[in-house]
Amino acid sequence: MTPEERDALAGEYVLGTLEAREAAELRARMETDAELAAAVAAWEQRLAPLLTLAPPEAPPPELWARIERGLGLALAPATARPRWRFPWPALGLGASAVAAGLAAFILLRPAPQAPLMTVLLTSSDQPAWLVEAAGDTIRLAALNRRAVEPGRVAQLWALPQGATAPTSLGLVPEAGRFSVTPTTLRPSPGMLIEITLEPPGGSPTGRPTGPILFIGRLSEAGGS
Amino acid sequence: MSDTAALLVRIAGGDRAALHALYKAQSVRLFGIAMAILRDRDQAADALHDGFLNIARRAASFDAAMGAPEAWTGAVIRHAALDIARRRGREMPTDDATLGDRPVEATQLSAIADGEEGARLRSCLEQLPEKNRRGILLAFVDGLSHPQIAARLELPLGTVKAWIRRGLLSLRECLA
Repeated sequence: MTPEERDALAGEYVLGTLEAREAAELRARMETDAELAAAVAAWEQRLAPLLTLAPPEAPPPELWARIERGLGLALAPATARPRWRFPWPALGLGASAVAAGLAAFILLRPAPQAPLMTVLLTSSDQPAWLVEAAGDTIRLAALNRRAVEPGRVAQLWALPQGATAPTSLGLVPEAGRFSVTPTTLRPSPGMLIEITLEPPGGSPTGRPTGPILFIGRLSEAGGS
Repeated sequence: MSDTAALLVRIAGGDRAALHALYKAQSVRLFGIAMAILRDRDQAADALHDGFLNIARRAASFDAAMGAPEAWTGAVIRHAALDIARRRGREMPTDDATLGDRPVEATQLSAIADGEEGARLRSCLEQLPEKNRRGILLAFVDGLSHPQIAARLELPLGTVKAWIRRGLLSLRECLA
């Protein structure tokens, strides 16, 4: 990507015109691409004066109580040391930190090579699926079960680093735990794993057509 | 350090009272930002819920050298609102029944924030062709997608995409 392309993409992200997929991919890429993150920050700063064009409006009175409940649910309760703040800033780091923490519970057998892991997060960064890839097989476990919208299905995709289009890994079954062994690609560090909402039977185009429900990036567990 | 920046430092340290203070100080402004994009009070409340959880989680990444804390909190809420707009199917121009209900087109550039940065941005926007400028404001303030802007301005989709991209480029050069 040329600096011009990167800056244009950052500008359109800040403007809000990127589609769901493009925005999610850009956020994931910002975790590892400091220049892209800086370009986004610069655009946020350039356009910030426009924020005052929205007329102020009082939120519903019960909203703060709901946010407090959300904090309690999303974040561990305070103990001696306040623990309700996730220490990581955003998607990529968060996923790998959660993955590293949960790895101990999952990896009961010795692995011949460092397995790849991630946690797929919702658009509001809530952990949704634990993903572990060892060899050619990718295993997924739901961290909390959610029903898919009626009349739609959830479809799993992988996007290797450098690839332009994601590859379908099939539909997500009802069970909260399943594994896939793709024949056309091999799990690799940096690969994006995502689940999108699609029409019955899956995407008719071979590309994701619906919004991204969950997304994460594979990285080596334990950093070994 | 501004009061808001000091609050963000406390929030980064896990201080829930500081988050509440930030909410009390900014929720009316931030709810307005979410409402302009979503035009639905329930969904705007969802955006503030998601956004404040993100503020709690990411306050440590706020860098005062990169801009005002109000710009940072505004950006977090805007992106939470844009995510909700995308989830409800913003890519379909006919899907959004509320489009046009509340024409906050913000052609009143005089409402742009006072101060040096606001004045420069206003002057740069004034130099853009009319439809170019409206496209940028409809996207940033009202959260419209490319197809929605094309419908609103009665221009072909490809033209709108190219104009907005060119408009951003002109703005960057003008502000440099």
